[in-house]
Amino acid sequence: MAASTLPSDPFNLVITGVGGQGNVMASRVLGNILTRKGFTVTIGETFGASQRGGSVMSHLRVSEETTWSPQIPKGRAHAVIALEPTEAVRVLADYGNPGVYTLCNTRPVHSIAVISGESAYPEQHQVKQWLRDLSERAWFLEATNAAMEMGNAILANIMMIGALSATGLLPVDSQGFEAVISRSMPADKAARNCEAFDIGAEMLRAADRGQSVK
Amino acid sequence: MSRIIQGAPGEHHLFMGNEAIARGALEAGISVAAGYPGTPSSEIIENLAADASETDVYVEWSANEKVAAEVAAAASFAGLRALCVMKQNGVNVASDFLLHLAGGGTRGGMVLVPCDDPGALSSINEGESRHFARLLEVPLLEPGDFQEAKDMIKWAFELSEQIGNMVMVRSVTRLSHASGDVELGKIPESDAKARFRHTGFILDPEQGAMTSAPVGYKHALQQEKLQKAEALFEDAPFNTYTGPENPELLVITSSACHLYSREAIGILGLENRAGLLKLGTTWPLPRQLVRAHLEKCGRVLVVEEVIPFLEENIKVLAAELAPEIGAKTFYAKRDGTLPATGEMNPDHVICALAAIFNLEYRSAPEQYTEKAKLCVLAGAPGRDLTFCPGCPHRASFWTLHNVLALDNREGFVCGDIGCYSMGMRETGFYTLKTMHAMGSGTGIASGFGKLDRFGMDQSIVAVSGDSTFFHAVLPGLVNAVHHGSNFTLVIFDNSGTAMTGFQPHPGLEVDAMGKPAPPLDIAGICQAIGAKVSVCDPFDLENTRDTMLETLDDRQGVNVVIFRQSCALSPEKKGKPRYEMHLDQKVCMGENCGCNKLCTRVFKCPGLNWDEKNQAARIDEVICAGCGVCADICPAGAITKKEAG
Amino acid sequence: MQVFGPSELLEDVLNAGLCIGCGACVNLCPYFRSYKGKTAMLFPCSRETGRCHAFCPKTEVDLDALSTAVCGSPYSGSPTGTYQQVFMARAGEGAGNGDFQDGGTVSALMKFALESNMIDGAVLTGRNGLVPAPGLTTSAREVPAFASSKYTAAPTLAALNDGFNRGFRQMGVVGTPCQLTAVAQMRTNPLQDANFADPVALTIGLFCTWALDTRGLLAFAQKRAPGEQIRKMHVPPPPAGIIVLETDTRTLEIPLEEIRPLVPAGCRICPDMTAEWADLSVGAMEGKAGWNTLIVRTAKGNSLVRKAAVARYLELADFPRENWKDLETAAADKKRRAFEKARQDGTVNAEAGCRAALRVDPRTLEKMTAD
Repeated sequence: MAASTLPSDPFNLVITGVGGQGNVMASRVLGNILTRKGFTVTIGETFGASQRGGSVMSHLRVSEETTWSPQIPKGRAHAVIALEPTEAVRVLADYGNPGVYTLCNTRPVHSIAVISGESAYPEQHQVKQWLRDLSERAWFLEATNAAMEMGNAILANIMMIGALSATGLLPVDSQGFEAVISRSMPADKAARNCEAFDIGAEMLRAADRGQSVK
Repeated sequence: MSRIIQGAPGEHHLFMGNEAIARGALEAGISVAAGYPGTPSSEIIENLAADASETDVYVEWSANEKVAAEVAAAASFAGLRALCVMKQNGVNVASDFLLHLAGGGTRGGMVLVPCDDPGALSSINEGESRHFARLLEVPLLEPGDFQEAKDMIKWAFELSEQIGNMVMVRSVTRLSHASGDVELGKIPESDAKARFRHTGFILDPEQGAMTSAPVGYKHALQQEKLQKAEALFEDAPFNTYTGPENPELLVITSSACHLYSREAIGILGLENRAGLLKLGTTWPLPRQLVRAHLEKCGRVLVVEEVIPFLEENIKVLAAELAPEIGAKTFYAKRDGTLPATGEMNPDHVICALAAIFNLEYRSAPEQYTEKAKLCVLAGAPGRDLTFCPGCPHRASFWTLHNVLALDNREGFVCGDIGCYSMGMRETGFYTLKTMHAMGSGTGIASGFGKLDRFGMDQSIVAVSGDSTFFHAVLPGLVNAVHHGSNFTLVIFDNSGTAMTGFQPHPGLEVDAMGKPAPPLDIAGICQAIGAKVSVCDPFDLENTRDTMLETLDDRQGVNVVIFRQSCALSPEKKGKPRYEMHLDQKVCMGENCGCNKLCTRVFKCPGLNWDEKNQAARIDEVICAGCGVCADICPAGAITKKEAG
Repeated sequence: MQVFGPSELLEDVLNAGLCIGCGACVNLCPYFRSYKGKTAMLFPCSRETGRCHAFCPKTEVDLDALSTAVCGSPYSGSPTGTYQQVFMARAGEGAGNGDFQDGGTVSALMKFALESNMIDGAVLTGRNGLVPAPGLTTSAREVPAFASSKYTAAPTLAALNDGFNRGFRQMGVVGTPCQLTAVAQMRTNPLQDANFADPVALTIGLFCTWALDTRGLLAFAQKRAPGEQIRKMHVPPPPAGIIVLETDTRTLEIPLEEIRPLVPAGCRICPDMTAEWADLSVGAMEGKAGWNTLIVRTAKGNSLVRKAAVARYLELADFPRENWKDLETAAADKKRRAFEKARQDGTVNAEAGCRAALRVDPRTLEKMTAD
């Protein structure tokens, strides 16, 4: 049985981003942390060709009881982690509701339509406003920038998991993360990931305090 | 160390459906596993291969699915348990052999796992493998969740041995590539010994010859096996019913659709009105079990993906039973209650149930949904698929596009399945003009290349991946050379089966299990067949262009040009950019006459951005993979590359 | 002069079959390229104006504006254009020996221009089998390698554009009338680029009555002499009415009628036989083998000719009166035929809002097409 109760059962989390941002890895790690805590986790995701520069979504369903559909029904996400801002907008249009919590990495990834000039990428303040309007609460984190300061932009995904842990929405903490990550990679890499997790958690706490954290 | 052999019986793990299937195969004590990569099936063989050194299982990536089925069958003939894995399209390739195999029967347990891709998330058609079970006259199982994905494999092996024929276990993307909770069982110690017994009476199933002839006798035997399977299905643990004793509506479903249906019933609060019959054994249908449920309800909703396979089989059964149980009203794909194409999800089922029960349902407040939709329209432009940053295919199609334009004879490219299928889209400059099955580009080009007598003077190019070359290009190439067809075959040799995750193929120095294997030389093979062969690096744009122009001018016979450059995501390249790229915005010509945004407007590598403020291009350092190609296309010399330290 | 963009060029010239492959649009940008005598647009370009369109000799050529820019007065419509003097000329001993076709006047002048540093590079057209191969040379010694008659439309100006990209600003160009029309347009800075620099210091024009489509000729030769390399081409003066193709082993004489279908449509609306926008124009000399006709049009051309003669690179002689009459008649005929054809096609002085290939004062047009 689960070590802690959930805000709702199942708790539905969407992790969204663009192919290549480490979406699948993030959902797998989070799922394993929660499985170790005794929850029944179901994850639905797409990979393969759909991943090549396209929008990528993982649906995580955390339950104390049973396996759920690998696709969250429309309008039923409790939280959204977006590795890319406009992908958050897209996910909310399908899975959002007024009670959803949104954690958004602010670094844009331009689609080829934007790169080629056929479409325009919205201004950041505009996206932020939309996400605030569409969420119970929205946090904006410069995870990619922080990850680049650590020397590897891909770590942004782990920072976002760290940030989720600091929201208290799910029973995820750094010990749980460390236990999972250290089984799947060499010690030095695992240590970097733990560092990224902690930075992400701290970024969210700072955002809560209304500060910006470098 | 991989995870699927870790863990003691009784432990719970978060397993991807494909991992669960692989674990199930280990728990079933398989000795041989063979397959060909294809989304969403690849991780089954991959996981078995990764653990091969500890499990004593022989695992191979076969040259194609037909060979994989033959390799697995050989193990079965020798008395071993064998697993054969492929994506749905692979069953089409293997079907010729499978039809013979199913007619002749098996010995050691043989299970075929086809993974379908409803909605074609990673495919170029929305194929379907279930109907093969009917065609092959073999039993079909469909797991409804992750636990079943594991447990059903073991059960399928036992069934296969009980009836003496192969068994199909069909998965779909939303199981294979989804993850869920799995309670582990025991992996048995292996003491398997292989021996093909053939010295007995020719028709002796255990000691005779393995074949589907004499057909009359063997076909009847095959159908007896199927009847035996049907009898066993009546008590199979994978057919479950939840709901009231006498429901207003009977929902019959299988596979991932079971999870969608269960959730939909729950969301609409129909637990006491709708019954859910979830079938794990879908061909042949367990007649008595289905009858018992049909008897109690006049209305039936069938929830499934792709073709109305379950719907039609249930309807046939209902028609046969009608004199005894009365006529039923069916809701499903054929009457439009559920969409005829695309993958299923909880919302489609909610929608169908709401319509049948006349209920109102809204997934989110209307105002919210309206607002969100407006935001998407205004600010979330669609993301067309694109070759990855640093992908050799972008450079390859750039050159193919350009040489065909220079050649100026309305030349075109025939292709097939792989990442390079995207050559048909914007990211490949709309260069690919035919795209069908594996190897079809070469076969079709072989045909086009004989139409000169009818006045066709267009230049013809076929493209193929390196893995595809071994899979299905060889016969087309042999055909073309023998018949003096005229075209250029370009082989994109990116050193592995890149699209599905770098599985080795016969051209590489390792096998699936990581052991050294003799690599077959594509260039040497083509030369031996009689084609003229050249090799170039697609990142060397100038040389590749000149080589291609030369072959297009050669109007005699088949030219093969091998474009050799590893995939940007290959283990040896990923995260290790070859060049440090620099873009000098002061030199960039931007929209001026002489450039007009060539790199962002036309080349469109995701590693480049258009900087509206400075009216110049810029490199996105997070995304750029450092392949250096954009430096070579920049007409202003604004982009420069430096060997990365 | 009206300047449009690449889309209009594609529509009005390339897709309309009027492109003669002169190379004026090639190498200016990544989009237009020439291969085996044919110009291709590799990718669409969205610009509304472009040098590609502005330079093209087959669309929106405003003859009055061009003449005003080059000669200081509107287009007169006279058969051979504006000129100062006409000579018979041939290479002198100072120019050294070379396998010159006809009189070698062009090679001698280009050699001299390079050696006297009047130009920093010479844009010439060589030949690779039947495929014209333009090039830029800085060495006088390389000039004779380019000397031989082509008869096929050549992308010579691609080499000029390439030279410009490489920093040459005093190039000498030898070209056909269409090519030198493009060069003249180029030199007027039609896009009014603030950083414009005229890259051309000398233009020598070649008389031209028609050219052949390279790919058409290749296919024709392949049919007439399968597998053989064409080493040389030659059109003997009238009334021979043949073209002579020499292979390694034999000489083929082909009636001109047979190759007339290979003349690009763009040639049929060309009003210029004697390369009127050049500094110097050179052609064959009827009835005087080994000599050329040399028309001196500009002061710059005049100065070069004088100096080359003094240096004995060039031998000059008086031009026979009756030959001039024949030349004028031939040139006037070409003008009349071209404008009549253009009028028929609706490509001269198109209605307001429509695009034209040629523009000229209607009165001049009347005069030129009158019998």
